[in-house]
Amino acid sequence: MTRAHFKKTHLKRSLIKLLQTVLILLATLIMLVPILWIFLAAFKNHIDVFQLKLLFTPTLQNFLTVFEAPYHLGQKLINSTIVAFVTVLIAIPIATMAAYSFSRFKLVGETAMLVTILATQFVPAVVIVLPFFVMFRDVGLLDTRIGLVLVNLAIVMPFAIWMIKGFIDGIPIDTEEAAMVDGSSRLQVIRNIVLPMAAPGLLTAGIFCFIIAWNEFLFALILTNREAVTLPIGLALFKAEEGDLWNLLSAAGIIIMVPMFVLALLIRKYFVQGMTMGAVR
Amino acid sequence: MRDRTLKYLLVAPAVLVVFATTIWPLIESLRLSFTVGRLNKPGSLDQYIGWENYTWAFLYEPAFWNSVTVTAIYTVLTVVLTTLFALALALLLVPGGRFRSGVQTLLILPFAMSPALIGVSFRFMFNPEFGLFDALFGVMIPPLADVSWLADPVLAFAVCVMADVWGWIPFLTLVLIGGLASIPRETLEAAQVDGASGWRVFRDITLPQLAPVLAVVIILKTIFSLKTFDQIFMLTNGGPGTATQTLSHYIYFNGMKYGQIGYASSVAWLMVIPMIFLTYAYARYVFRKN
Amino acid sequence: MASVSLRNLTKRWGSFVGVDNQSIDIADREFLVLLGPSGCGKTTTMRMIAGLEEPTDGEIWIGDQLVNDALPKDRDVAMVFQNYGLYPHMTVYDNIAYPLKVRDTPKENIAPRVQRAAEQVELSGFLDRKPKELSGGQRQRVALARAIVRTPQLFLMDEPLSNLDAKLRVSMRAELKHLSRELKITTVYVTHDQIEAMTLADRVAVMKDGVIQQLGTPDEIYDDPQNLFVAGFIGSPAMNLVNGSIANGVFSSADGTPMVNIDADDCSSVTLGVRADDVTAIDKGQGFTDAVVYAYENTGENTLLTVLCGGQRIIVRGDRHLRKEQDEVIGITLNAANLYLFDPESGLRLRDTGVRDNRSR
Repeated sequence: MTRAHFKKTHLKRSLIKLLQTVLILLATLIMLVPILWIFLAAFKNHIDVFQLKLLFTPTLQNFLTVFEAPYHLGQKLINSTIVAFVTVLIAIPIATMAAYSFSRFKLVGETAMLVTILATQFVPAVVIVLPFFVMFRDVGLLDTRIGLVLVNLAIVMPFAIWMIKGFIDGIPIDTEEAAMVDGSSRLQVIRNIVLPMAAPGLLTAGIFCFIIAWNEFLFALILTNREAVTLPIGLALFKAEEGDLWNLLSAAGIIIMVPMFVLALLIRKYFVQGMTMGAVR
Repeated sequence: MRDRTLKYLLVAPAVLVVFATTIWPLIESLRLSFTVGRLNKPGSLDQYIGWENYTWAFLYEPAFWNSVTVTAIYTVLTVVLTTLFALALALLLVPGGRFRSGVQTLLILPFAMSPALIGVSFRFMFNPEFGLFDALFGVMIPPLADVSWLADPVLAFAVCVMADVWGWIPFLTLVLIGGLASIPRETLEAAQVDGASGWRVFRDITLPQLAPVLAVVIILKTIFSLKTFDQIFMLTNGGPGTATQTLSHYIYFNGMKYGQIGYASSVAWLMVIPMIFLTYAYARYVFRKN
Repeated sequence: MASVSLRNLTKRWGSFVGVDNQSIDIADREFLVLLGPSGCGKTTTMRMIAGLEEPTDGEIWIGDQLVNDALPKDRDVAMVFQNYGLYPHMTVYDNIAYPLKVRDTPKENIAPRVQRAAEQVELSGFLDRKPKELSGGQRQRVALARAIVRTPQLFLMDEPLSNLDAKLRVSMRAELKHLSRELKITTVYVTHDQIEAMTLADRVAVMKDGVIQQLGTPDEIYDDPQNLFVAGFIGSPAMNLVNGSIANGVFSSADGTPMVNIDADDCSSVTLGVRADDVTAIDKGQGFTDAVVYAYENTGENTLLTVLCGGQRIIVRGDRHLRKEQDEVIGITLNAANLYLFDPESGLRLRDTGVRDNRSR
């Protein structure tokens, strides 16, 4: 091969590299544009938002308006926070106990239990929400936060159990055996050894479940209407007679998504593992 | 306490919760599917009518078949498109380079977004007067300049697919990056040394080794596509007409808007059946890994 | 301090037998090594003594107590794990103190005992560190200190040196030996490394496939192996094993090459064992038989010759000045006073079965 040939290959390589970079940037742009557009709109006034312009005088008024009558987004924010928080607070301890047992012991029907727990994740929410609606109507749990927490457990538990099981599987069993020989009972082992070592994992699983509960839509749509309405349902408030109030929708959108962005970034290393329940690591 | 008692006590609360929040409502909805089940008719929830709800869906409800068709096309399109785009993006990102970690971090963002919000944002983007995407498409494809996307049955469906693909590409990309990164470098280098071209390396070495991960994401994405509700609800609410009415939306509409809990439950159970097969396929991958 | 007695101990998982009906009596203050290749049941045996594994059958006695149903914490044993099993979230001090704390030792007693244990393993300067800030050897010492901080009835050590590099292993081995003779506590030690076994043990139990092949002092195991497995497992290089036959007081290899005179009855099929040290290499024609040099290796302190003789490879240890070339023909002589005969079928030593090897008399 001649020098010219090598030069040509070299040129071709540089071009491919450039093309790659351009494509990556383009893809990233497409991924970000809808989010950025919401960010822009949230700072536009109610006139600018109905125009396609990038230059405008930013205003914070939208973020104040959404908390005022008739929208009262604050109440939804409190509901969302309480529901997601209590869901996690119940789910994580229960899931941790189960995950430890699944990870460390052989149980009769273990595989069946694990498959069932895995499978419940794939049950469409519309299927289980109908009986819950009927039951909640009968016992007076409709439009309550407690009711929402209860159904949220359905979607959060399988993730929590599988995710925490993955973390506990990663803790060397040697350490626990050493503690047992050193004189610990099983419960002491769990308290003194497993919990401190699994703490980062538990926090990760907790954040993951918080995001899921926070973004949950269908249950809240069907099971609440005034008192216990959560943020995602609150979005529907901004449909006025004259059309959607995009500046307010966007401001509300930011209030919904920015806290989740922060949480998601905290646990980004475990996002994939959590979603796939360990099928992919 | 001995381990052999303790281990069952530890799983008991979780089993109880899963039973109460998923198994019980599943069984209850199966029962409801055989009743008259009208929300506004007291006693109808215990009034059994055999398979009538099911036969009604199959024989007398074009809207049911419409939602089946919509869901099927929607699922196929979103699964194929998301997988292809995500695979392309993952292949672009895996060689490393300056952007990889930054882009990977940004990819988390759309996935942390509530699907309902994604629906809202795409409705915004395709607004005929001030939607950014509407305007961009108008410039790139002039015939589309004056159309009102969400008012046209086919285009509204396309927007739903786009929103779904947009929301899921990041997650699938992240999974596939993980899969690609775990392929031993030596196998790719050996193939290069052996004289394979870039495409041959991909087809003969990369793809077969990526197959299990690919299978997992395809199954997972299929399940989530079949269940789609939040986005469609906020984006088109099933419309125009019933052009974007997925099964979940159809069940919601019949159950909550028309109060036909019994009928809605029967359709819901028809939807559970394909899920069982998909879950089985998925569980096999999960357990092979463990 | 206590004696330990295993009676008809068996561990099965389904149809797989991990430990097959084995019995050992370990004397008070004895250092017993369980030696064998991986999967031979040595670790399982130890884990059953610790209470980490439940025996399928049989009894475990520590002192005069049957401990089959006792939890690990109630067996009063201390254990050093292969991967150390240190508590990563605790400092070295807390790691060492943990067995005391969890057994509700009065607070004022803990600190001096931790200090003393740390001194014994030369860790005094590292008590505030976390395990991940320590080197492999130091982690090993923490694990050791954690075991000796109490005075348990029994020490259990599961391949404690196998994660160390070769040089550190030698020095830790000496420290371990020193410490064990100082503490005088009954110890069960699991290893696959025969040098560790030979150097540390009062007695060695060589295991294979869940069965103890031979139990004896290091000398007995080395000088008087009971079967082919023990003969081949102990010693470095491994004992030369040559298949052949005996006729008229001469052992010949399978292809008929006479190799050594032997005072034993005729036998058509027998395996002859001879250690590399008991074969002498001399010039061609000077030995009992001639052999071709297959490989010549100089290890520094001595030399190893692999020669082909009678169609089989035989390893000869020579002194460090011996020089031979590949393919050179030399003479070899086997030391008739140190030969072993085995039944190739059963693998057993032939002692009083009509054929007797020289050492059995």
